[in-house]
Amino acid sequence: MTNDVTRRGVLKSAAAATAAGIVGAAFPAPYIRNAEAATLELRWLGWEHYNVRPIVEGFERQYGVRVSAGFFDGNSEAYNKLRGGGTDDFDLVMADGFWPRLYARQGLTQAVDYGKIANMNAVFDDFKAPNYMLLLDDAGETPIAAPNCWGGYGFTVNMDRVDDADARSVGLLFNEKYAGHLSTSARFEENIALAGILAAHQLGTKDAARPDGKSFNPYVLTDAELARAKELLIKQKGLLLTRWNDEDTLERLLRAQAVWASPEWSGIYRRIHFDRLDGTSNLNMIHVLKPEEGGLGWVDTWCITTGVTDSETLELAHKWIDWRLSADNMAIVATDVGWSPTVDVRDRIPERYVETLFLNNTAAIRGLYQFDAPSSPEKWERVWSEVEAA
Amino acid sequence: MIGPVAKTLLLALPGLSFLVVFLFMPLVSIVIFSFWRTESYELIADWNIDNYATLFSDVTYLTFLVRSLVMATAVTLTSLLYAWPVAYLIAKHGGRYRLVLILLTAAPFLTGEILRVTALQQILGPIGLINMALGHFGLAPIRALMYSNVASWIGLTYLWMPFMVLAIYLSLLNFDFQLMEVAKVNGARVWRAFFEVAWPLNMAGTVIGCVLVFIPTLGSSLTSQFLGGPNGALYGNILAHQFGATGTWAFGSAMGVLLFAVSLAVTLVLARAVRDFRRAGITIKEG
Repeated sequence: MTNDVTRRGVLKSAAAATAAGIVGAAFPAPYIRNAEAATLELRWLGWEHYNVRPIVEGFERQYGVRVSAGFFDGNSEAYNKLRGGGTDDFDLVMADGFWPRLYARQGLTQAVDYGKIANMNAVFDDFKAPNYMLLLDDAGETPIAAPNCWGGYGFTVNMDRVDDADARSVGLLFNEKYAGHLSTSARFEENIALAGILAAHQLGTKDAARPDGKSFNPYVLTDAELARAKELLIKQKGLLLTRWNDEDTLERLLRAQAVWASPEWSGIYRRIHFDRLDGTSNLNMIHVLKPEEGGLGWVDTWCITTGVTDSETLELAHKWIDWRLSADNMAIVATDVGWSPTVDVRDRIPERYVETLFLNNTAAIRGLYQFDAPSSPEKWERVWSEVEAA
Repeated sequence: MIGPVAKTLLLALPGLSFLVVFLFMPLVSIVIFSFWRTESYELIADWNIDNYATLFSDVTYLTFLVRSLVMATAVTLTSLLYAWPVAYLIAKHGGRYRLVLILLTAAPFLTGEILRVTALQQILGPIGLINMALGHFGLAPIRALMYSNVASWIGLTYLWMPFMVLAIYLSLLNFDFQLMEVAKVNGARVWRAFFEVAWPLNMAGTVIGCVLVFIPTLGSSLTSQFLGGPNGALYGNILAHQFGATGTWAFGSAMGVLLFAVSLAVTLVLARAVRDFRRAGITIKEG
């Protein structure tokens, strides 16, 4: 058999194809449902690092569905997306701290049925009511979110460069002794909140009665506290080497000892500490999860959006949460992604992870101020702009 | 048979549609939003001029605008100083390699902006090539290069200069270099020949290059975000912040309108520099 292409052959094929097209257009074939289109799809919006391929693929195989994800950097970005019609685009959204309550209040998310999430039983008590109430609505009755991972926004400190007496205070980030070797992230909310903790501590208002009758929340600062926080942040600018935008940059600066102290999520500390344990680094770093004046913390969660109205997708959303909470998958998140699970996986991961993910100290979450939306984003924006312009 | 007017309209249709959809409509929407207000991430259609009042009365935001104007001017002037000799050399002496050489100036564009800025971090930063090399010889690091406005200036110049080179090069392609020789034969020194012949006859290309560098620099945010350090926030950074973390869209829209107005004004001012098109190197067929 020969494969020669002749002019006649090409013309014949083209004529046949044209005829087939005309016939096809004139007498359309009956609609055949596409098998792909019939596959149920679960869409979640969250932090990109939680898009762990083996976990997602395992779920898709197990339930014969398709999972797609959208990503954000911060809660406010996700909130803006949902407010802009995102509840129709996403079935699940991740949120931490007080944000799940805000979503529920705004009608963006719906109740979560713990009865359908068997792995809730494996969650540490520290992340369940009555120890941790932010998974329930404002009335403290209906579950509105299921926990995922937790952590703080503590400081990683180079103990060869920073005095022990200074290392455990928020004041370290404002200490002139370490000028040019301090860093913070570019996150404006957390920068103001940390300065707010120090401001309230200095003003003596942190443990006093609050105007709103609630306990101190660094995201709900009085005008006096906010003004003091602004002063601190302006003074701090002269002490900072940079405000980091990505963890890689901070890790390089910490390893090169250009930066001696910075708030971070503890992942960098863990990697450097592991290198020390392995004998490949002699850097003496500690991570201060809860500074003396108080620190910031978070429990990130899965919430189901109000865009989910059919029972099939609602069921699938619960299965997804249950899947994510399984000890096997949480162990993957702990070791491969590097976040601390709210589920007890201590028997499944190496001891060095147990220690540096603070899994023997989950009660620490109770002493940390939870991430929240600023009480007035407009006012906080003004403060931050003034700091940046100063 | 369609008439000449209909034919012109038909030809203009794709361009006009593009402008309406991608320039006019977004612009109208941000003008509308700029007269609304935001409350706790929610855009409220409550017509007022508060955003503009804040923008023009609060020295904070004017500081960012002035910073950006100074930065854009510095970057444009630096690009101009660097681009002219490069473009001149390529246009006059590039021979058959002219196209390859001009494409090489745009080689950094083969990578993304983030990658280019990150690469600059590796050169200018405290643990970058320059400062590490200095440290190796026992010298102190150059602090001005580390997360500073100088670093942003270098980064932005690196980022936008190819546009300047390209605009001047394209202008020089139509320039008769023998005119320079004529000027010199008639007694003009090199610099005088340049400023009285080459410069005015290539004014259009130079102005276009200036606009192509100045306007993007004025609104840029990424470079200063990564290289600028704690004192490096520009107008673009604060503008981006309004639409991101703070969710203050209405105020951000007002900032956007002001940026557009300033950009337009700068373009018009620069366009006035090309009043005499013939002297600026643009030839129009007469009759």
